Amino acid sequence: MSFQAKMIITVMALVNLVFIMELLRKRKLSESYTLLWLFVIGAVIFFTWAEQFLSSLTRFFGAIAPVSTLTLLSLLFILVMLIFFSMKIYKLERVIKELAQRVALDNARRYK
Amino acid sequence: MEGVRNLRKDPGKEVAIVLPVYNEEENIRATVEEIRENGISWDIITVDDGSTDRSRELLDSLPVTVIAHPVNLGYGAAVQTGIRHAVAEGYETVVLMDSDGQHIPSEIPNLLAALDKGADIVIGSRLLGESPGYRIPFLRRIGIWFFSALAKMLGGTRIHDVTSGFQAMRRDVARFLAEQYPVDFPDAEVIISLALKKFRIAEVPARFRRREHGVSMYSNPIWAFYYPFKSILASFIVLLRIIRGKN
Repeated sequence: MSFQAKMIITVMALVNLVFIMELLRKRKLSESYTLLWLFVIGAVIFFTWAEQFLSSLTRFFGAIAPVSTLTLLSLLFILVMLIFFSMKIYKLERVIKELAQRVALDNARRYK
Repeated sequence: MEGVRNLRKDPGKEVAIVLPVYNEEENIRATVEEIRENGISWDIITVDDGSTDRSRELLDSLPVTVIAHPVNLGYGAAVQTGIRHAVAEGYETVVLMDSDGQHIPSEIPNLLAALDKGADIVIGSRLLGESPGYRIPFLRRIGIWFFSALAKMLGGTRIHDVTSGFQAMRRDVARFLAEQYPVDFPDAEVIISLALKKFRIAEVPARFRRREHGVSMYSNPIWAFYYPFKSILASFIVLLRIIRGKN
């Protein structure tokens, strides 16, 4: 990977870092999700600069270019995140349903 | 009207009739009045599932218990809320009916008579009965046949009309369903889970009527596409949960 490509990826990751920290400051993101994204940004910077490690990984995956390995890892990460958020959404749906049902049952207008 | 039970007498908490309601301002009054006109004086529990029309206002003026979801949660959730209330209030039998006028209240004694003969839950079937003027669309009929076969294969119980929401159940079944009930399209998977739990399921002929106002939830093409896939998946998961002892 060229030095220019490494710098572009690093700058993009750092912009993302500032954006994430700003969301946290404005209370639009929780600390736990911020930690997750900080970990992701750290991983991106690590893979970009740790050429030896990335090359080994590229050979392991049978890929030709290190960029392909980064793309594959990104796709895997996005897939995991989508499954994670699907689970979160489902959990929230169940909680909302439970709460709404309890509110409704507590406020039932009995006819007698 | 003949039935094993005395329809006018309500010795405590014998029967609760649960009516889920969503945007039924044109039907709900007539449905409740028809139940009463048939001499049925058991308690009616209505669950307004976040209607955006005048349904809630109308319910408040009717002689029924009103439970109102603060937001729309879905048909299954509304039924479950009604069942939960009935269980919490100690009713021995729960009758489920739609509030759109398709289910005919004078059929309720037939459902209860089958319960009294030993069933745990009774399904009112439009496929076993004659319903003049009521026609099941071709695709829906195929769907019903398919899910009936699926219920037979997975649950071992032959129920012809697995999508019928006209049901009567004993307290044990109501307690079970109060805990776990699908949010949307609670049809075949409920029958399968009850069969796997060894509840005795019976089916009796019941006349149905065509809906006069409003539209069915099955008329949405997206739901119509989603429904069969969701139900097949849910049915197999019910089986898997029972096998793995998670239900």
